[in-house]
Parts: sequence; structure tokens; C-alpha cells
Amino acid sequence: MSTTATAIRVVPPVANPSAGPDYVVVDRVRKVYNEGTRQQVEAVAPSSFTVKAGEFVALLGPSGCGKSTLLMMIAGLDAPSQGTIGVAGRALTAPRAETGIMFQDPTLLPWKSALDNVLFPFQASKRATGPTDGPTLARATALLDQVGLQGFHDHKPRQLSGGMRQRVAICRALVYEPDLLLMDEPFSALDAITRDEMNLVLMKMWEEHHRTALFVTHSIREAVYLADRVLVMSHRPGRIVEDICIPFARPRGLEIGETVEFNEICGHLRSKIQHTPH
Amino acid sequence: MALRVLDRLRPLVLPTAFGAGLLLLWQALVVIFGYPKVILPAPSDIYAALIEDFAVIWQQTVPTVRDTLAGFALAAFFGVGLASLLSFSRLLRDAIYPLIIVIQLVPKIAWTPLFIVWVGIGWQSRLTIAAFIGFFPIFIAMMAGLESTDRSLVRLCRGLTATPWRTFWLVRLPASMPYLFAGLKIAITLAVIGVIVAEFISSSEGLGFLILKSAALLRTDIILAAITVLCVIGLACYGAVHAGELAIRKWQGE
Repeated sequence: MSTTATAIRVVPPVANPSAGPDYVVVDRVRKVYNEGTRQQVEAVAPSSFTVKAGEFVALLGPSGCGKSTLLMMIAGLDAPSQGTIGVAGRALTAPRAETGIMFQDPTLLPWKSALDNVLFPFQASKRATGPTDGPTLARATALLDQVGLQGFHDHKPRQLSGGMRQRVAICRALVYEPDLLLMDEPFSALDAITRDEMNLVLMKMWEEHHRTALFVTHSIREAVYLADRVLVMSHRPGRIVEDICIPFARPRGLEIGETVEFNEICGHLRSKIQHTPH
Repeated sequence: MALRVLDRLRPLVLPTAFGAGLLLLWQALVVIFGYPKVILPAPSDIYAALIEDFAVIWQQTVPTVRDTLAGFALAAFFGVGLASLLSFSRLLRDAIYPLIIVIQLVPKIAWTPLFIVWVGIGWQSRLTIAAFIGFFPIFIAMMAGLESTDRSLVRLCRGLTATPWRTFWLVRLPASMPYLFAGLKIAITLAVIGVIVAEFISSSEGLGFLILKSAALLRTDIILAAITVLCVIGLACYGAVHAGELAIRKWQGE
């Protein structure tokens, strides 16, 4: 395992006893747009890191640092210019049916009800069970209830609030029991109060379903609250400049945000983001 | 209370009352100034012709409606079909789409005599021109609809490993419905025009033929009666497409 992180770590990134073997391996991945033209832009400088099975990793960085690009490459939706990505022991060449993705926007189908949106993955591609099979349906309704959408199963997206739509999107990403959950700033469009709520919902869902997760965010507090490990990306071209473990025991309440330790970690991460040379 | 009911019916009452007023004015002018019926028949004369010659008018209405609807159906089939096909292949799209735009720039009515040469003076040529003229707005609207589909939804499908066909069927097609219906509405009115023009040129049946024949006989009242019927046909066709749109919208939950 190699990382480009060279800084002193607050906590060495080895202390996660529940984490398994390497599940996502990002090896010297670089992304360049408009290569060979005068508009050439390096979005992601060669970056390497791994995510272990069962681990919740936050990828933290300023806007436009290439963290979303990196995530989309791990989702198989974008191809690296250089380097390789491995997921579950296999080289990634296309999107995987076993990866769950949450985008910045809920991206729900406006003409489908909340429940049908959750069932959409079963319509979109062939899976072990169909969208109308008993177990599928039971799982979808249970998930919606778990995120607090009882009574809203038949509502259309435009009848739901922003936070509710993102809850539907969480359910849609979990309903086919993916082994890897990729989240691209899923709560960045929500107000602060809803955002705290959504973090609680996500935490609860993750503790129940326990998937390997990679969460992209530009919010330091969100990263520290949610993750087992935080990777910090520098300004563009993005590269990993820090890799620390977050020691708080789970389940975590929002009150850990008031502790001295939490704020010390946040302060350390902030200094990392601010003081990395461009 | 009564005022509120009147307020709600305003969009219906106002144009109806205004239209009725115009008809009355028309009737009064003809009666007062005594225009000859051949030049300007009064609304009452048109009504009388409509009743008296109803059998003839109805007989000629049937082929016009038939050719319009059949042509429209063909236009919808080929317009939606080709646009869908092109949405699957960037190569085909880039090769064919600009050509269709160029052809579309030519006034389509100008092609009518050519179609008559190619497929004869029967209903086939009327059908062809109606289909041809209706094809373009449907194709272009459908193309715009398919291409304007929310990219993030398409990306979601890719992330879920959906095939291009499934992405088309589940996302692109439903998303393009508002565009398609805008195109269908234009096409249905154009299809009526196409059929009437074709009937002017070559036919021995249809309302276009009846209008031309009545003009030769100086039966202005029958011409205006036929135009009244065309007006009703146009309204009914447009209304049917609109009803289809409302049904789809309701199904899509708007």
C-alpha cells in the first residue's frame, strides 16, 4: 500500500480493527482533460490510496480540486488518463453492477414515485430479482421506512423536499445491496440543518448495512463526523496530501462535534487544506 | 358567487361571445347592404348550405379526414422512429440530421406535384404529402427531446449498468414526451394543410376538391360551409392530440 501523504499523522491510518483487506486500490491515477491541446488541464495529479473492506473513507478537498473526478473514475463513469483502479480484486474498466452511487443531486426520475425510484436499479439492469419480486419490494419499502419516509412511498419527487429526495437516493443506492457505496457530495445542496439530519440518516444506514464507502465532501466537519478515515486532497491538480484515522467510536451522535478532540482534528485538516502549495 | 363562476368561464365565454358578435355583424351587414350571395353569403346562407348539402359535404369529408389521420400516423411513426434510431448512433446522427434540416428548409408544399408524379393522383399521393409535411416537426421535436434528456439521469443509468436500449426506454423516451407533443400538435395541423393542397392539385374527392369545384360553380356558400367543416376537423384533431398529451402527463404524475 502506498500513499502520497507525507505529513505527520494525527493518528496513524492503521488503527481500524474492523477493516478488512484492500477493497479499492487507486494506483497512480491521473486525469488530464483536453490532453495535447492548449486547454490542457490536469484535474487529478497522480494519486494513490486504498480503501479497506468495510471502511468508511471521506475524500476531503476544496471545490474544483478533482475529488469528484476521482470518485467518478472509481465508479467507472470516467476513465483515468494514467494509472489503474482496482475494485474487489479486479481491474476496473466499466461501471460495476455491485457499486452503489449517490450523486450531488438526487437524480430521481420525475415521473416515478419514491418507491418506483428506489426500485429503478432493478428495472435499469438485470439483477438476481426483478423490480416486482416480493423480496425486492419488501427491501425497498423497508429502506424507505428506515430513512423516515413512511407515508411518502407513492409521492412523486416534486412533492418531496430536497432532503427527502436525497433520502430516496440513499435507498436507491442501497436497495440492491452494493458492496461499495460511492457518494459525491450528496448533501452539498441542502441547508445546514437538513444536512445534519441527513448525516445522521446516512450514519444509521451505514451502521446497519455496513458497506465499504467512499464519501466526497468539501465540508471538514462532515468528513470527520462520518468517516473512519479522511483523505485530504490539495487544490487542483488534486493529490492526496493527508491520510488520517478518525478515532471516535460508533454509533456516533452529533454531539461529538462539540468535543475538543473533534475540533482539533478539524483544525488540523483545515491547516492541511489551506497550507498545501499549489 | 355568480361573478366567480363567470370568472372561471371567462376563457370560454369571452371568445365565444366575441365570435358570435362578429357573425351577427356579418349577418347584419349582408342584410343591410344586400351583398350578392355569390360574393359574400351571410352566415345564415352558409348554415343553410351546410344543412342542405350535408350529404355531399359529409361524403367529401370522409376521404380528407382519412388521408389526414393516416398521413399523420405515418409521420409520427417515421418521425419518432428515425429520431429514436439516430439517438443510438452518433455516426448516423451526424450523417443524417443536418441533411434533414436542409430538406426541411425547402417549402414542403413545393414537393406535392412531384409526389403526384411518383405515386399517382389517388389517395396515395395525398397520404404521402400529409406524411411528408408532418414528419419534420415531429422528427425535429423528438430529436430535441431525446437530446435534451437530463445528462445526470443518463449517467445514473450508466452507473447502474443499463444497456443503451434500457436507458432509451426507461429515461430518454419518457423525458422527451413534452417535446414530442409540441411537434405532434404542429404536425396535425400541417397534415390537414397538406391533404387540402394535394386535393386542390389532383383529386376527384375530398373537401379540397369540393371547394375547388364549388368555386367553379360560384357556390361561395358551399365553399364556406366546407371551410367550417375543416375548422371543426382541425379543432377535433388538435383536441385529440392535446388529450393524448394530458393523459401522458397525468400518467407521468404532473
